[in-house]
Amino acid sequence: MSKIIGKIAATEKIPTTIEEFCFWTDQKRILHPFDVVKVEHINQSITFGVIEEISHITDAASYLTSFISSDFGDVNLEANTHRIGMNFVKAKVVSNTKDIYTPVLDGQRVSLATQAEVSTALGLDKIEHPLPCGYLQMYEGEDKIVLPVHFNSHFVVGPDGAHLNISGISGLAAKTSYAMFLLKAIQEKYVNEIDVKPNESTAFVIFNVKGRDLLAIDEANEKLPDEDKKIYEMLKVDTEPFKNVQYFYPHFNDEHPNTYAHKQDVKYQIDQNKAFKYKFVYEYDRESLELLFANVDDSTGTMDSIINYVLTDQGNFGNIRNWSDFLGEVDNHINHARGGEITVMSWRKFKRIVRKSLTNSFFANRISEDDNEIRLPDAISRIRKNDVFVVDIARLDEDMQSFAFGNVIKAIYDLKLGQAGEQDEIPKKIIIFVDELNKYASQDAPKNSPILKQVRDITERGRSLGIILFSAEQFKSSIDDRVKGNCSTHAYGRTNAIEISKGDYRYIPQVYRGMMTRLKQGEYIVQNPVFTSPLNIKFPNPVYKQFPNG
Amino acid sequence: MEKILEHLATQTKGTCYKSYRYCFNGVEVPSVIYDDKQNIVFSRDKSGETNKGLPKPLGELAKKINRQGKPLFKFFLDGSRRTYKVDDIAYNNRIYPIIAGQIGVGCCARENPDSFKNFALENFSALSLPECANKDNMPNELFFNSLTAKINDLPSLKKRNLTLRKILPYEDRQLKEGEKYENKGIAQIQDEMIESEKKLVAKLARERKLDFSSYLIKDGSLQYQSSKGEDLKNLAAIKSNYRCVVGVSKSFNPELCLDQNKRSIAKKIADLKLFHRTPAFKYSTERARGVEFSVWYLRIRAINRTISPFDGVLKIEKILVTENEIAKGLDSDEIDLISANLINESFPTCYGSDNRWANHLYPIFLTESFIKSKYLSDVYFLNLF
Repeated sequence: MSKIIGKIAATEKIPTTIEEFCFWTDQKRILHPFDVVKVEHINQSITFGVIEEISHITDAASYLTSFISSDFGDVNLEANTHRIGMNFVKAKVVSNTKDIYTPVLDGQRVSLATQAEVSTALGLDKIEHPLPCGYLQMYEGEDKIVLPVHFNSHFVVGPDGAHLNISGISGLAAKTSYAMFLLKAIQEKYVNEIDVKPNESTAFVIFNVKGRDLLAIDEANEKLPDEDKKIYEMLKVDTEPFKNVQYFYPHFNDEHPNTYAHKQDVKYQIDQNKAFKYKFVYEYDRESLELLFANVDDSTGTMDSIINYVLTDQGNFGNIRNWSDFLGEVDNHINHARGGEITVMSWRKFKRIVRKSLTNSFFANRISEDDNEIRLPDAISRIRKNDVFVVDIARLDEDMQSFAFGNVIKAIYDLKLGQAGEQDEIPKKIIIFVDELNKYASQDAPKNSPILKQVRDITERGRSLGIILFSAEQFKSSIDDRVKGNCSTHAYGRTNAIEISKGDYRYIPQVYRGMMTRLKQGEYIVQNPVFTSPLNIKFPNPVYKQFPNG
Repeated sequence: MEKILEHLATQTKGTCYKSYRYCFNGVEVPSVIYDDKQNIVFSRDKSGETNKGLPKPLGELAKKINRQGKPLFKFFLDGSRRTYKVDDIAYNNRIYPIIAGQIGVGCCARENPDSFKNFALENFSALSLPECANKDNMPNELFFNSLTAKINDLPSLKKRNLTLRKILPYEDRQLKEGEKYENKGIAQIQDEMIESEKKLVAKLARERKLDFSSYLIKDGSLQYQSSKGEDLKNLAAIKSNYRCVVGVSKSFNPELCLDQNKRSIAKKIADLKLFHRTPAFKYSTERARGVEFSVWYLRIRAINRTISPFDGVLKIEKILVTENEIAKGLDSDEIDLISANLINESFPTCYGSDNRWANHLYPIFLTESFIKSKYLSDVYFLNLF
């Protein structure tokens, strides 16, 4: 027998509707937004609702009544009778057991739902191709229930929908941890071939953008609490770290450290043959030069003209084999201006932008495979099913981060479009995870930015090509509309009041918006096409090694 | 489907007019004969309390009781009625109004400051017809009971699961100047409400709910009309039911309150300081024969917070039960205890919800609200006829 907590109240001014209803409940009953309640409805059916707002009212006509009732402002007054009050709760209808969606009737009993009923109400019991995405916790004390929540993987990694966007402020939202939790679940599903067709396969390309966050994801988290282990068990995800991981560090030396990883750690990984140092070589990577200009506003197209000039081997650029000669030739064009279409001023600007980056040691003359050095596009072309490639870009400056990111994306595109490698061995799906998406697909990015174009292309066409983007950023409102608009799944972590006042959050009920400013670490509000309503979920701590001090 | 009025006209051989139906509460406030506004002269011979000295201020006592957290009052009783004119009916070439009423009498109990629950509720509907509806001079009780049963058999009522409790006959004799048949009908319904109140107090007494640590506040006066056939033995039993009952009236006409020397005590009441009371006066009334009352006035709101000097003053009545009380008046300590506890009931207030907030006690206000919430809506009720 379910616990009855109140009754439906339909009034002249606030009627119950197809969409929502209100009920009263005891003022001391603890309920939360997102809790599911059930209401007895006609034909022995049950209507389920998700709590959206909880208000407390009394019979006081105004604040003045309250003031007067305290003996005209006596804060110490203790009355014999406390003012009559109750909580009224607004809930959104999510389902009815017999598909009867007429408004629920006044006076009907409202009760807490059982775990099975919550699952039915939210449609969680009918999710096909389940992919664990966290767990729900509802009610308080003895009524508390916990149940696992799954996405339909076809709506996260295709073919029915793709791309995930996670937003939330740094640290408190745990965006990276959540993305990694999902990636872990996906990898496990594909490694163990659970609910996977024989020709389906995935691989992962992950960018490490903060400290050493993701530089030991194949090492276990020794400090994983027992409660979290139980949650992993409930979600049927093991607590092993990621498998088949390879790390790609930017080439570094004493002058250009380029990574936050400790030298001995990198050495250990190289010895294990699971880490590589990536370099860019003029001969093969000059075509990516445009990526250095991703954040440069080139409204007149002069930088574009120069890049085109270089790539079509005009001047003496055709004979060059390394980056220093390239810079020398640029100097040459500045010093011996020939009065062509491109002015000296433009060449100077071009030089100013490229010189800063090209002095870095990962713009090199050649690579040595014996030292585990590699070009990123070559590495990507070798990706196979269930591989996890971690590309470290955390310590690079913004332009070089864009360069490396753009290079990887371009390589993945080339791979999937058949310009590299054996098609049979290429994973059907490559999932890319990048944090700080705002650096690559910001609302303010120059409209001709090659990286913005790439990211838009992934979100618009990636689903059919098998390129899936898991992205994260602090402020969703700062992301390009076309990019976020094409994501089928959205996860909202803790954010701030200014952010929720932006248009992106307009369609989210006020109380949920308010909640977004109070979400705890490890708590998300998720939206996915298969859910009838946004869900407030939690997820456990990561299964891989953590570096609390970065 | 035959409606009540059609059936009534057929059964009593009268003619209904389908006149305009309305609720009296919204149209005019008739001067009902039974209220607190009639002339009261306090007994010359005896005082209403044992201590003849001037009463002391009660604020400190109230605070002390408040600190102890054991309020004297646990039960709160209120009666309410809503009356309607549902039609006119012609008998013997005369036109009489048909008065209908919804009556609600309820008692709420307070266990602790957060628990305020209904203890007992009686709500029902009644009709009032002129006595001449009984054309064959059958005993009124027989005739009207039989008519009530016939009406309750009507499908229109059965379908809605409603019944009429009673049909109350009102006198149809020649009207004096200023009198109206409507008011006579309303008075019958009011009497019925009072009877229900008395029964509810009797029930509380019978179930031994009332004792010296669990008093009952009854909203309004305790000056009940003596029922027909009430003998002295019955009267003693009824009086004993009221041992722990206090009647608190929100409104009274101070001009009609005269002291032993037939001088108005209006100024004394107006000049009462906050948390002070008048001495208790003793009086008896023709209406309630054989019953003596102790009555006093208590100011529960500061005069500068109210709009008239009589706002914030309660009229408190208690029936004198024992021989000793009748002889010497009510114990002044008990009066002080009751008064101090009433002071503690003065907050919270219903300011903003009821214009009489200064004289209203919140638990009574809640009881009244509860009873009224149980009424059928006016539109629904009027259309039953």
